[in-house]
Amino acid sequence: MKAPADLAATDMAEAMRLAILRADPALSRFDPLPRIISFDDFSRGHCGWSQLVGNYEDDLDTMLPGYAQHSSAMLSTLGHWDAGSHGAMDSSYALKIATRARPGARNVAIKRHTFRKRGPIRFELYFTFKPEASELKLSETDVRSIGFLFDLQCGDRDGDGERVMPHLRFLNAADGKHLQKWQYKRETTRFEAVGAGDKILSHYHLAPEGWLDLPDGEQRLCYNEIATKVNWSYLRFDFDLESMRALGLHCNDRNFDLSGFDSIRIPAMKNLWCMLNFCLFAETDVAKRAFLYVDSICISGDF
Amino acid sequence: MLPENITAVIARNERWTGDAASEPYEAGWAREALFFIRALKQPVGASPTGWIEISPDGMHWLREGTEFRMPSQKDAIAAARLTCFGNWLRVATQFEQGAECTVLVTVHLKA
Repeated sequence: MKAPADLAATDMAEAMRLAILRADPALSRFDPLPRIISFDDFSRGHCGWSQLVGNYEDDLDTMLPGYAQHSSAMLSTLGHWDAGSHGAMDSSYALKIATRARPGARNVAIKRHTFRKRGPIRFELYFTFKPEASELKLSETDVRSIGFLFDLQCGDRDGDGERVMPHLRFLNAADGKHLQKWQYKRETTRFEAVGAGDKILSHYHLAPEGWLDLPDGEQRLCYNEIATKVNWSYLRFDFDLESMRALGLHCNDRNFDLSGFDSIRIPAMKNLWCMLNFCLFAETDVAKRAFLYVDSICISGDF
Repeated sequence: MLPENITAVIARNERWTGDAASEPYEAGWAREALFFIRALKQPVGASPTGWIEISPDGMHWLREGTEFRMPSQKDAIAAARLTCFGNWLRVATQFEQGAECTVLVTVHLKA
């Protein structure tokens, strides 16, 4: 082992950074890049996670139906009828994204930032999911999927001119089949003008069509034995804003190969420069609400 | 640290007819809740009584006791205040046959 005096200053700084991180009970379970952009512990409120509202003009009826179903995320202690509050990992509260009780219903929460530098960013969270415990059954195939996406666009002076939307979901089940695999998406729907003018467009990037299996993307997560027992899982997604390419996906003990992964890519839009949005979503497969719970989220970057 | 508060939109541009209710909302962290119910379109037919419901589990509901008249004009707003509740809250009402109201329901919660 090298003596401290032999360490380069950068090595020493990194060692100190890691030591401080690992001694901090709130951050020690994360592996953030050098700058923490946001750390969301839902015992401190919603931390900027609001509902994804669809675009509209003049009349809310112009909103695409996929977005019209969305509602506000909530703070939950995971209270269950049979066992009371489950609680989160180290506080009482988690963010809860709940769908409606209709097959195929979906809900999305979003956090909206912009970026300072095009470089690596890291999205880490601890999550769990369950259907509403409205039946005394295991119900392990009732949640269709949970997932996340980024909504990114280059800076106004950059030459590449793209809006890039990496999408990943854990497809838990479809039509009663327990599929348990990661999927990605490269297609969105056609852009439509909403309202009478041509200033506001909308597209439904979470349409159910177009999901592709991630190679070797099968993963059996801990679901536990009844509908009201949950276990928290770790998820990490790395993305490079410079090349607009995914760098890695990690869930619990598994690293996934993203060499075949790509994002939804569309021409840059006229007012979204340097956009750095993060979304989390849940989908139900049956006429029962699906719940995505998030204990905490750490978003970091190398800049 | 300032106390938490949140504005949540729990029903947006929903056309309510017959037995109608907002989606359940968890508010156990809050000490006060204030609901606003706005008619986004001209309501059709009689404006019924609306009420707040509470639940032990988000699945089984009963009336909390607070009532209000559903808005009778486009952009009219009804309100309901609560200071004693557990965790789950929702707004419910019941329309006569043929009556309807397209609503925007928001809940404002304070710790």
